[in-house]
Amino acid sequence: MQNNIRLLRDTRGLSQGQLATAMGVSRQTINSIETGRYTPSLPLAISLARFFGRAVEEVFHGDNDA
Amino acid sequence: METTMRRVFRSRWWMPSFCVALGLAVLAASWAGDDLRGGIWGLAMMTALGAVFLFGGRSETLSGLGGPGRDERWEAIDMRATAATGLVLIVTVIGAWLWDVAQGGDGSPYAQLAAVSGVAYIVAIAILRFRS
Repeated sequence: MQNNIRLLRDTRGLSQGQLATAMGVSRQTINSIETGRYTPSLPLAISLARFFGRAVEEVFHGDNDA
Repeated sequence: METTMRRVFRSRWWMPSFCVALGLAVLAASWAGDDLRGGIWGLAMMTALGAVFLFGGRSETLSGLGGPGRDERWEAIDMRATAATGLVLIVTVIGAWLWDVAQGGDGSPYAQLAAVSGVAYIVAIAILRFRS
């Protein structure tokens, strides 16, 4: 599972810690999501997408998706 | 209920309190077994471990084990670690049971432990299947 979290976060000028605080998770969890080592739960994925004003499928996509 | 339990488990005081409580239980058991010195040593060790969790600083491992660092990723890690621990434990118990039987023993207490583990696993599977 790939995602655009880092790109979206950088666009907003947020640190991993700031995004983590907004999502109620640890900074390490945001880092793990960005690097693809951890796939978030559906509620967290939805929260992340809503935070950036995007649809979930715009933020998260499968490895074979374009 | 689940939210309350999560709040408790994510409190920074949860693991230190648990350590001290376990230390007191060790003290009580040792005292009952006429080994007060061993019980005091056990309480001191468990209290020290609780202090490590309480003042563990920025370590994610200590923070997660201690409570405050627990989020959904940590819960996933915890679940996998628990499963791995259970696997190691059951393999060890079965191995010890076979070894004891091969030595002419009756397999106690490994047979009972293996039976409890097996029943607990089946019951857990049934409950979790029903709830999901």
